[in-house]
Amino acid sequence: MGTEVLEELSKAITIYDRGETERCARELVQRKMDPLKALDVMTEAIRQVGDGFGRGELWLPDLVGAAAAMEAATPIIEEEIKRVGATRESLGSIVIGTVFGDIHTIGKTMVATLLTAGGFAVVDLGINVTAESFLEGITEHHADILAMSALMTTTAPEQRKVIETLEREGLRDKIKIMVGGGAITEEFAKSIGADGYDPTAPGAVALAMRLMGKKQ
Amino acid sequence: MKGFTRKLKPLEVLAEEEIEAIHRGTLEVLWVTGVRMEHKRALQLLEKNGCKVDYDEMRVRFPQGLVEECLRKAPSNFHAPARDPKNSLMIGGNTLCLAVAPGQQTVDPDTWEPRPATRKENYDGVSILDALPTVHFFSPYTPYFGFEHVPPCMAMLESLAARIRNSTKFQCVGFSNDSEIFAIKMAQAVGIEILGTCAIAPPLSYYKDAVESAFRFAEAGLPLRIIGGQVMGGTAPATIAGAVVINNAEVIAGLVLAQLIKPGTRVLVKDFSASVNMRSGAPAFGGIEICMHNAASNQIFQRYGVPLDDTTAYPNAKMPDYQSSYEKAFRVLVAGLSGANTLLYHGSVHGELTHHPIQAILDDDSAGMVGRFMEGIAVDDETLAVDLIHEVGPIPGHFLDKAHTRKWWKLEQFLPKAADRLTYPEWMSTGKKTCLEYARERMDEILASHRPTPLTSNQEKEVERVLEEARKYYKEKDLITEEEMTVYRKAMQSPNYPYE
Repeated sequence: MGTEVLEELSKAITIYDRGETERCARELVQRKMDPLKALDVMTEAIRQVGDGFGRGELWLPDLVGAAAAMEAATPIIEEEIKRVGATRESLGSIVIGTVFGDIHTIGKTMVATLLTAGGFAVVDLGINVTAESFLEGITEHHADILAMSALMTTTAPEQRKVIETLEREGLRDKIKIMVGGGAITEEFAKSIGADGYDPTAPGAVALAMRLMGKKQ
Repeated sequence: MKGFTRKLKPLEVLAEEEIEAIHRGTLEVLWVTGVRMEHKRALQLLEKNGCKVDYDEMRVRFPQGLVEECLRKAPSNFHAPARDPKNSLMIGGNTLCLAVAPGQQTVDPDTWEPRPATRKENYDGVSILDALPTVHFFSPYTPYFGFEHVPPCMAMLESLAARIRNSTKFQCVGFSNDSEIFAIKMAQAVGIEILGTCAIAPPLSYYKDAVESAFRFAEAGLPLRIIGGQVMGGTAPATIAGAVVINNAEVIAGLVLAQLIKPGTRVLVKDFSASVNMRSGAPAFGGIEICMHNAASNQIFQRYGVPLDDTTAYPNAKMPDYQSSYEKAFRVLVAGLSGANTLLYHGSVHGELTHHPIQAILDDDSAGMVGRFMEGIAVDDETLAVDLIHEVGPIPGHFLDKAHTRKWWKLEQFLPKAADRLTYPEWMSTGKKTCLEYARERMDEILASHRPTPLTSNQEKEVERVLEEARKYYKEKDLITEEEMTVYRKAMQSPNYPYE
């Protein structure tokens, strides 16, 4: 019953159709179908797009287009998961964002999409995210990992500020922190006390797996 | 006056009606969607002059009449005076002035891997660029963004100080954390003019700092570079025509503001377009489509009568090789042929990430070749040489022993300084050297022989006084930590400070 809607949802993501994914999500909720199943289907669709990107068959606009299509359905499905009191299974929960003062979105969105495709529950806080907003996001979503991006040498120090804020609030030991972006180097990541750095988006997924103690 | 003069009709990549279509698209974007400017004083000034302003959204909509009036008010060419008047420039019209393409770091010339530049490398870098004849002026940075032991907030000002000390050419500056306040003070104290910067955050947005910088330079009566920064497919449409429209709207918004702050402000608009590398998301700087975008902008801004700076010639290659050569050569050749007024060209190794003097020396040769091409072909009785052809006649006649040849060959041939032009036997017996080795030898020669004209002792004192004022300002603003200041002060104790 209703499997055709799941198929339509999956297809809508792979053809980057935001309107259609949203429609499918609303129909799924209306028919009282299992929202966890819907989430699995979406993750699988994103994984397929991510794999195509990895093989060099698909390109950045395809990856970002699929992510945007999924984004149209995610809040509806998550609301339903909350309503029915179900628990979402994932490799771990990750809060991600580009730090305050920095409005670069592409690298961060790539990483968020590939992390989702890799099986993580990802909450994307967007760009220009303050230390306080990171703190709220981490608490609200019980994040296992915080992922921060900074493209500019002038905004990279903001990553240090976020880590210091977490230390002050006594949250630093409860979370793993990974950093990336054009301005970040391995040495810088170490100097600010991050748990990991990788210069590439696929590398970030492997890094998140390592931080969670998972094998790929 | 330095710079290359283009005696050829500029290359036209757009038809008349296509220019009109782009202009109409630009005016529509400026009026219907408008531009976000996060600066209250700018919004008030624009509103007072007829713009429609939404203060909540910080959005400005520009009426056509004002846009066209301000395009007319901006000078079509302007004087850019250098510390040594011999190096002063006229920017605009049919001249192309080339400048330094900076990089965040330097590279190891044996491995071509990036690493931070030392203070000495910054000063030596400036000195080498001062010696290269086709470097007509300096862009911001020294050529490196960072100085060893210098706190990041002081890098812009240390860079300007190094360039004023080690070069007599015309200088540009950027802006970061109020650095422009001290840059203007330093220039005024030394008695020179500098070209300021206001940068757009595409799409269609200006941050407060950029607008503040525009106010500071225009009010000081200094020229201003208004820099776009779109990546096609990311912050602009993927189509060249659409990207030209939005870039036009973005830079013209800044030009209008500059003309309202102070009518007649000297403005150099920069078409700083790149494409998105659809694999990594990074800008793809080496693409031919950038040449096409720049050529279109050059044609449109010639129509507007406003000087244009093309996208900095950043290659995607990681070292001077075949790819790097074509990526850079296409850019400078198209810039020269299509009527760019300035291009940041010399020394960029990979994107904006690295710069090296060896690359700058190689670029001095290709720049010279383009300058030669732009001069065009001299055609008159003497160069046609018909009488001489009669005189020499068929074999065994030849031209090698003629006074005409002795006079003209050096004017007609361009002689690259670091190119391999040996015969096979010579090349094999001298170690099969490539242009890279020759460029390295030329670099060592310049470092051993070139002595930049020093500042007067009073000018030198003034530079250091302004630097010290800036250090205190940033220390009080907490932009320099105690630890950074200790390292910085210690480096300043060097016996060869400020040079190493």
